[in-house]
Amino acid sequence: MQPNPIQASTHRTTHKTLKFSNMTQSFTSLPQELQLATSAHVKYIQSLDSRKDEYDYWLTEHLRLNGLYWGLTALHLLGHPEALPRAETIDFVLSCQHENGGFGAAPGHDAHMLSTVSAVQILAMVDAFDDLETRGRGKAQVGKYIASLQNRQTGTFAGDEWGEEDTRFLYGAFNALSLLGLLHLVDVDKAVDHIAACANFDGGYGVSPGAESHSGQIFTCVAALTIAGRKELIDVDRLGRWLSERQIAGGGLNGRPEKKEDVCYSWWVLSSLEMIGKTHWIDKAKLTSFILSSQDTDKGGISDRPGDMVDVWHTCFGIAGLSLLDYPGLEPVDEVYCMPKSTIKRVLGR
Amino acid sequence: MADQGGSNHGIARTSRTRTEEQRQKDLERIKDYRALEDQVRHHAAKNDYSSDVFALTSKLLRLNPEYYTVWNVRRRCLISGLLSKPSPGSSPSKALPTSSPTATTTTSSADFSSSLSTETPPAPESQTTGKSGITAEDDEEQKQQTRQQDQQNDQQILQKELHFTIPLLLESPKCYWIWSYRLWILKQVIERLPVPVARNIWEEELGLTSKMLLRDQRNFHAWGYRRHVVEQLESPELEGKSLVESEFEFTTKKISQNLSNFSAWHSRSKLIPRLLDERNANDEARKAFFEEELNKIGEAINVGPDDQSLWYYHQFLMLNLVNSAEHPTIAPAFTQEERVTYLRREIESIQELLEDYDDAKLIYEALFDYTLYLCQLQGRKPNEQEEKDLKGWLGNLKKLDPMRSGRWADLERDLGLKE
Ligand SMILES: [Zn+2]
Repeated sequence: MQPNPIQASTHRTTHKTLKFSNMTQSFTSLPQELQLATSAHVKYIQSLDSRKDEYDYWLTEHLRLNGLYWGLTALHLLGHPEALPRAETIDFVLSCQHENGGFGAAPGHDAHMLSTVSAVQILAMVDAFDDLETRGRGKAQVGKYIASLQNRQTGTFAGDEWGEEDTRFLYGAFNALSLLGLLHLVDVDKAVDHIAACANFDGGYGVSPGAESHSGQIFTCVAALTIAGRKELIDVDRLGRWLSERQIAGGGLNGRPEKKEDVCYSWWVLSSLEMIGKTHWIDKAKLTSFILSSQDTDKGGISDRPGDMVDVWHTCFGIAGLSLLDYPGLEPVDEVYCMPKSTIKRVLGR
Repeated sequence: MADQGGSNHGIARTSRTRTEEQRQKDLERIKDYRALEDQVRHHAAKNDYSSDVFALTSKLLRLNPEYYTVWNVRRRCLISGLLSKPSPGSSPSKALPTSSPTATTTTSSADFSSSLSTETPPAPESQTTGKSGITAEDDEEQKQQTRQQDQQNDQQILQKELHFTIPLLLESPKCYWIWSYRLWILKQVIERLPVPVARNIWEEELGLTSKMLLRDQRNFHAWGYRRHVVEQLESPELEGKSLVESEFEFTTKKISQNLSNFSAWHSRSKLIPRLLDERNANDEARKAFFEEELNKIGEAINVGPDDQSLWYYHQFLMLNLVNSAEHPTIAPAFTQEERVTYLRREIESIQELLEDYDDAKLIYEALFDYTLYLCQLQGRKPNEQEEKDLKGWLGNLKKLDPMRSGRWADLERDLGLKE
């Protein structure tokens, strides 16, 4: 990293143990609380922008564009892409753009890699790259902004002009640039070398050379290598094994050895397993019920684990996980981009 | 993208209804918060980074430390007025490790750097030579004095900034933006202060990471942060020397406090190659070191054979015996015979563990792996007895760990162990 002291350990909570007798692969035989509460989730996501009388709404403005990406992805996967109005979505995204091409989290917020990637992903999902060209500052300028954040000596990326470097930003850059068809603006080989230097003997990847393996960082490194077409660098057997060991008794997956399970980590581990062709190394039925039991079936939304407070972040990654697990009725998700496969097909032609 | 603030982790689900009174209270808070926010933005939009604005950012960041744009405003306040202007030539001008960004950046910072160059007074050198009785020497002295005053002023401000973030960090230890700001301040420390002073401040930072790891010993970020601080303390910029011995000692201490600390074991595995190099360890010393580590982890496993952290480290040691070409190894001079002996000895003692713990799946997995390592080392296929053992252990793995049955099935197929 710089350490990315964002998120870490204290996943205290009451973990409700749910007993499932005769869990089978057949989803229709699941009890009511283990059915996907699609309409509740749609309503929950729609309600997120109408909470302007809540203090938290204002405290989280620095995540507005990311939140829109999480919510929109969930809606697309749920088969309700129209649940947020397209024109307003595009207007909002474009209103966050700076002259230098980068996007801030909301109007008045500084440009940052994370919000810029979300902006590109949203525009890709609602098929609005043309609007970016005609009404925004254009693809080329966005590409230039992202490319300016690469450290040309080490190949890695910073989050903004001040910030520290982290493989999250490298992945974000590859994600957005490849969607824009502008990956050639950066030194891909250097970036790949940097990822290789983050590898550990257990097959995983850390946040920087020397750092211990961590599911979130593994996702960013494996996805970036996939985008770069360099998967041959991955030690598939060792990594697959480390990732499969993340599944613990409750069926959910954790981020590191001896940690608690979490819906968002479940997505990073599962999607990484998918990229290396090893999802059959975990118990998919158990993971499915773990995610489903983390829903608030009444008011909508998904939480980190059963019984906790929901948020749009876990709602997105929970639904993406279910999609990758072939839960019926969901749009297929792309494991590299965490967006609908149909979007990736339209944008990348594959 | 990887995790960010704003997501709820470990907060129990409660009903989301508020009373009208609570709602009114929220509306009041929103009003105050937004008024403050408006003020900061209003000034920033006009490139006003005065000390008044600086004070407003303190207020706002205490309410919301996730507000990265406001941290940026604060940085701009510091470099556009509060901190001394780097006088040309005097600055140690260590290029920021974050490379290119400065070139393109946001409009505001571009504006900022241009305003900086116009504000900088013309270089005093042009006026020095012998004018109005001031000798070059006096002038040099005066410059020296100004520089010292500047440094003292900078030191005061930078240390104040480090203090400012502490209560915020205690309240939101996972907030990325606070850490990022703190590191930026620490970079300014290197660039602006004399080396001994800067070094002191960075050493205190190492103390802070130790304290954090006392509060939460697996804190991923604290370990990463510590690695970064150590790297800086070792760097020529701080006239540093290697800390590998004391860091290795630190992992030993952490492990003795709690064996099940993968972060500490991991850190240890990364330090060892450098440690041995710097000790100029000869073959004998390396062998002794390897055996000591093996004993240490062996004892730990005897107590906690279900602990993944311990087995990962054990595996790291075993890989030193087989993968010598790929990684820097502890004892590159081991003979083939020695390697085989170590592996056999480990396999035997792990088998003994089964007498007490016949339901610990990690034991079966280790036996399975190491038997294959042995075959790999000797360039042969498993013999009849080994094949029988492998089948038996795999059977136990399937039984004890049905969640990963797909993996066991693949192993069975790939190794031709199917009955
Ligand atoms: Zn989570």
